Amino acid sequence: MLSLTRQILTGTLLIPVLLIPTISVAFELPDGDEVARRINARDEGVAVARNLTMQMTDRRGKTRTRETRAFRKYYGEEKKTVIFYLEPSNVRDTAFLTWDYPNADKDDDQWLYLPAMRKVRRISASDRGDYFLGTDLTYEDIKLETRIGLEDYTRKTLGEDEVDGHHCYLLESVPVDEKTAKELGYGRVEQCVDSKIWMVRRAKFWDIKGKQLKTSHFREIRQVQGIWTQHRIEVENHKTGHNTLFIFSDIDYQHGVDDELFTQTALRRGL
Amino acid sequence: MTHNALKQTRAWRVFWWITAFPRTFIVLGLALIIACASFVPSLVKDTRSDAFLPDDEPALVYRDKVKDIFGLTDPMVVAVVNDGPHGVFNPNSLALVDWLTEEIARLDNVDPDRITSLATENNISGYEEGMRVESFWEAIPERQEQADQVRAAVMDFPLYIGSLVAEDGSATLIVAEVSDQTKAQQLYEDLLMLADNAPANAGEQIHVAGEGAVSGYLGSYIDADAQRMNPLAALVITIILFIAFRTLRGALLPNFVVLATVASAIGMMAAFEVSFFVVTNGLLPVLIGIAVADSIHIFSQYYEEKARYPQDSPREIVVRTMVHMWRPITMTTLTTQAGFFGLYLASVMPPMQYFGLFAMIGVGAAWLFSVTVVPGWLSLLKLKPSPSYRPDPQPGQARVDYFGRLMTKFGKSVLHKPRLVLAIAFVMAVVGVYGATQLELNESRIRVFQKHEPIVKADTVINRLFDGAHYLDILVETPEAEDIFKPQNLARIEALQSYIETLPHVGGSTSVVDYLKQMNRSLNEGRRDAYVVPDDKDLIAQYFLLYSASADPTDFQEEVDYDYRLANVRVSMNSGKYSDEKVVVESAQDYIDSHFNAPGITAHLSGRVNVDYHWIKRLGETNWGSVGVALFMVWLMASLAFRSVVAGTVTVLPVTLTVLVVYAVMAASGIWLSISTSMFAAIAIGLGVDFAVHTIERLEVLLRDEHRSLDESMAMLFPSTGRALFFNFLALALGFGVLATSKIVILQEFGSIVALAVTVSFFSSLILLPVIAKVFRPRFLGFENGVKSLRVNFGISESEQSN
Repeated sequence: MLSLTRQILTGTLLIPVLLIPTISVAFELPDGDEVARRINARDEGVAVARNLTMQMTDRRGKTRTRETRAFRKYYGEEKKTVIFYLEPSNVRDTAFLTWDYPNADKDDDQWLYLPAMRKVRRISASDRGDYFLGTDLTYEDIKLETRIGLEDYTRKTLGEDEVDGHHCYLLESVPVDEKTAKELGYGRVEQCVDSKIWMVRRAKFWDIKGKQLKTSHFREIRQVQGIWTQHRIEVENHKTGHNTLFIFSDIDYQHGVDDELFTQTALRRGL
Repeated sequence: MTHNALKQTRAWRVFWWITAFPRTFIVLGLALIIACASFVPSLVKDTRSDAFLPDDEPALVYRDKVKDIFGLTDPMVVAVVNDGPHGVFNPNSLALVDWLTEEIARLDNVDPDRITSLATENNISGYEEGMRVESFWEAIPERQEQADQVRAAVMDFPLYIGSLVAEDGSATLIVAEVSDQTKAQQLYEDLLMLADNAPANAGEQIHVAGEGAVSGYLGSYIDADAQRMNPLAALVITIILFIAFRTLRGALLPNFVVLATVASAIGMMAAFEVSFFVVTNGLLPVLIGIAVADSIHIFSQYYEEKARYPQDSPREIVVRTMVHMWRPITMTTLTTQAGFFGLYLASVMPPMQYFGLFAMIGVGAAWLFSVTVVPGWLSLLKLKPSPSYRPDPQPGQARVDYFGRLMTKFGKSVLHKPRLVLAIAFVMAVVGVYGATQLELNESRIRVFQKHEPIVKADTVINRLFDGAHYLDILVETPEAEDIFKPQNLARIEALQSYIETLPHVGGSTSVVDYLKQMNRSLNEGRRDAYVVPDDKDLIAQYFLLYSASADPTDFQEEVDYDYRLANVRVSMNSGKYSDEKVVVESAQDYIDSHFNAPGITAHLSGRVNVDYHWIKRLGETNWGSVGVALFMVWLMASLAFRSVVAGTVTVLPVTLTVLVVYAVMAASGIWLSISTSMFAAIAIGLGVDFAVHTIERLEVLLRDEHRSLDESMAMLFPSTGRALFFNFLALALGFGVLATSKIVILQEFGSIVALAVTVSFFSSLILLPVIAKVFRPRFLGFENGVKSLRVNFGISESEQSN
């Protein structure tokens, strides 16, 4: 499995080398790898605390809304995430804790706390292509946030486009092989990347048989404490008619996130 | 009537006028055929089994609603079976399952995300620290011990036993959702090909089944066979025509009427945007038979006239033929139409209603062509005598051929012991009534196919080794969102499931309750005693959250709706027979009414099994009504046509006896009253009444109008009308008999039953009616002094008698 941190590190290291040709061909479209590098070079902050509202709607228009408080922190190449449910009241204090390891051979660790059971249970790691907490985003989508899995895809720049009034490059990514495609659940991805701030504003996904799968929009992108941050993700699944809305609020990169939060004790104690 | 007196009749003037413009009528007829036929290409086929039900049928509406709420589909099912000691739990078979799963995902019209098999499903198990969700195998097992471990894991997962794997481990399923149901048949064929090419080892079999496949395949299966059978029926009938008249025109001109009849009926269907249903295949032989019947009677009279008066011009002979024949032909047309109108009125199923309606149109077209184009065309042709009808040395008489003599002999023997005939008929009627009460109402879709068809084998295997592929869905409704979380509601659902699972042919059932139990067990170290529904609403809500968090967003939609207000219980039955479904549906409904429904929770039956139950039941309930209506309509029309209630009553006697006898035969030979056979009565009445109408009409003419003695009349009836009816009977019986050689069971049944019905109608008309005439001497036939028993039997009042 890929490590974000490692990507960032390699990305950062490569910047001086790659910057030179970019400048020299400024009037041509940057190539796919260059766009990807730019995306991955963005600052994401070491730790973040934020509220996340997940709103899922099925094809008949019925909606489930979950209010959560989520924390994320990088420990070198390791990434820890914890999500506490706030609403609805009958699932309040339910919590998921995940430790992602950079080593692909080592499965991620995941724990679950069900308050009605008063027990922390270890649950096995999800596959990258599995859907994240019943949303239309996969664990891999969540893990990368808006980044690009460098080793999973080959890419090229298709052209230019405009999303929500912002100029972007159209970046096409194709999984490197069939096995990877199957793991990810995607046969092709087409992202619209803002040419100024290098944030993905729209992504279209096709399944491994080339059928249109889903479209994501990343909206309300503005700087929070100096970091470009999306406040709204809209995902529409074209195959199931299901869709997901993520709303981020109370985003804080600065005040640090207590390491104690990423423990089983914290799960049990709650917020 | 004398030669000259005939020429004074209005009928003579009409047909003289028609034969004055033969080419006009032929051209008009051709134009009509072309006009009607031009609509045929726009005909739409509708072979869905749902097409048998009106769109507003409550069971169907409800089923579709439930299907929509829970996203239920009719998937394709591939079964891998291994009879060996390890069943499918050996490295080879598991590799085969893996291979098939991969290959099926590649097929068009399959959603790769929605395939369920041992290769795709997760094993959810509990251990000391928590819960493990993992594939049954990371790499395909290479050694038997590894396969044994897979078996142990699968067999510890109650939700999969009976649904994904056979209880004895001998088989497993690969279930694939179909993206586009209208192309299910192509997918079925692709799957068959894949099964053929699969790297199966000795002892392994692969079967393909699924409701989607059955529906699509059923339609094309019947169509393909009917398209083979119908031309064969036409050929057989043409041969019979040739034997009857031994002339080319006698064999070919009736086919022109057939063409017109079929073109107008089918063309009209297309013009009015009525679909061609599976049962519409049965309309074609009916139309062919009726179209030919009119022609047989016209040609018989035509050649008889020629033999009697060889010197007359062709036009005179044609017109005289029509003067004699227009009345019986019109009467049989009207009575047949009345019978089909009865079918139209009384049937509950749209395809049957349309069958009645367009049969009426076809019969009308056959009549129109028989009284215009046929005489017109015949008047144009140089008239050569038929070898079957030779002039007699005595002028005005015709010599009868072998068949005529046969009929004369037959008539003599019939009239020899009239009371014995009546007694036999009476006994047959009594036996028939008894038989009709013993008739078994039943239906099973799979029996359409021959036993060796792969789809039948697959169905048998899947229903034997698994819980079953016939679904009864039970929709549980609560008033508020998240009410399904309430422990008391879940307990009710659990009790409902345990009751239903005790019913015969129920293999198992699945609902949210089973998933909750599994989750409770997994989160409690996998302890078997934790396989229960927890008694805590919040914990249940958290389990659902965990479930929704660990699965696809739409994974759970088949069991519970998105705001947890509705739940579906899917009951699997291993039989698709109505009689088996009836027990389960009725018991389940009783239980729901008496034990389940309470304030705050209700349940409704749905699913294919419930739909089938309701409409087959309705078919049974309305069957006798529709037979009654058809008989009544025929009786009414015959009474009007003969201007006598007694004549109408006598006319329907043979067909009534026919229906009873056929029901008795069906009951005795175990043929069900089903979709296909329920239509036979109305068709048999419509077709069979012609024999009675022709017989009575001729007797009436001979006895009343021509004032012949009874013996003279009988002697004339049998070699002429009797002979024509004999060929009419042969054409129908053999035409439908051809269907009996079909490879499709329901067409076999339909063909042989109608052939039997036509046979009984023919014999009872030609035996019973002359005997009734002889014994009861009814007044409508011209008898002045009817015997006393006439009053008893037909309720004729004393005053009417003395008139």
